[in-house]
Amino acid sequence: MNPDVDAPLIERVKAGDVKAFEMLVVKYRRRIERLIGRMVRDVDLVPDIAQETFIRAYRAIPQFRGESAFYTWLYRIAVNTAKKQLMELKRDPLVTESARASRDDDEDNTSRVENELTDGETPDAVLASKQIASAVNFAIEALSDDLRQAITLREIEGFSYEEIAELMNCPIGTVRSRIFRAREAIATRLRPLLDTRDGERW
Amino acid sequence: MSFDAERDAAALERLSALVDGELDAEAAAQACGDWRERGEARAGWHAYHLIGDVLRSDDLAVDPSRDLVFLQALRVRLQDEPVVLAPQPLPVPARQAPAFAGNGSTGRRWNWIGTSAVAAGFVTVASVVMLTRGPTATIDTSPAATLAQGAAVAQPASLQMSPNAAASEPQALVANGALIRDARLDRYLAAHKQFAGSTALGVPSAFLRNATAYQSER
Repeated sequence: MNPDVDAPLIERVKAGDVKAFEMLVVKYRRRIERLIGRMVRDVDLVPDIAQETFIRAYRAIPQFRGESAFYTWLYRIAVNTAKKQLMELKRDPLVTESARASRDDDEDNTSRVENELTDGETPDAVLASKQIASAVNFAIEALSDDLRQAITLREIEGFSYEEIAELMNCPIGTVRSRIFRAREAIATRLRPLLDTRDGERW
Repeated sequence: MSFDAERDAAALERLSALVDGELDAEAAAQACGDWRERGEARAGWHAYHLIGDVLRSDDLAVDPSRDLVFLQALRVRLQDEPVVLAPQPLPVPARQAPAFAGNGSTGRRWNWIGTSAVAAGFVTVASVVMLTRGPTATIDTSPAATLAQGAAVAQPASLQMSPNAAASEPQALVANGALIRDARLDRYLAAHKQFAGSTALGVPSAFLRNATAYQSER
């Protein structure tokens, strides 16, 4: 089994670095909200349950021993939190077949479900989602073959740098650099979409 | 905010490697420092993960402005949480102390006494923290405050040690508006005080001496 990619950050959180936990939140919020969105009927509840999930995970992280991937552990907390909230609110959970089927999967199941609009469902949000998807796909097509292959092997196939170096017949340092340059090239095209909303900046 | 382009690129490349879990602990600490101090690093970290999510699944291409809103709301709640301090594995000593190497029974006994002394030290520190911690103390997020909160769990026990605790007290009473004392618990703790005393002060008890003698006869 590959070591958990989140292990360095988790060690930092356990040593008292709250900011390292924020980095994990930024990484997983979208997946956690999608998961919760499949379980609850009321989309307004999704961010609250996601927030409660992360708070519970933060409190429990000293007990996380790395026996499963961090995301698997977080996934279970999200499912339990959503169930508990629904019981407290005495609302009926809406569990789709695909969510039920993927509940015990180790890795995130990326199958499409009918409720794609879990993100507030405002026209602005829908438009922003479409713009992001098309910008990323357009930017990927515009990459050189080396950069596109490197980031695809990493992000879609999930290979480690060492494995990609073997597949692409180049040093690991080159893999690291190609993946970084691919990300920067795509991020440059995304930046106008990321910066303009409400004037808020990271 | 004077960060030249080269250092900026190096910091972003480091974050990109951290996205993939390909950094050692030292470089990861540097990357976390960049996240803490630099908006460019935070924006880069967010963008790299968003790109990965969108590549894997179109339905993760969500409105990116919500990520920052969510984090800002969560930060407010995290401020009220005690800082996590999980126990770290102890470093393994390079070798045994030579004084104990050829003298098994004595070495074991001194190890026992050493352990007791460490435990006694911890109890003393915990007691001091408990006694200096007032009931109206506000919650701090510093590591020391986290330890104090852990120690505060033992606070009811320390109250039982007061000499005024007598059997004539009512069955239960409320102290500080929140703490409920049980007279049965008072009697139990009073009866066991004598056993707690010798170990906490680091004096080897009869049980430990017997154990040592038994082992040296073998």
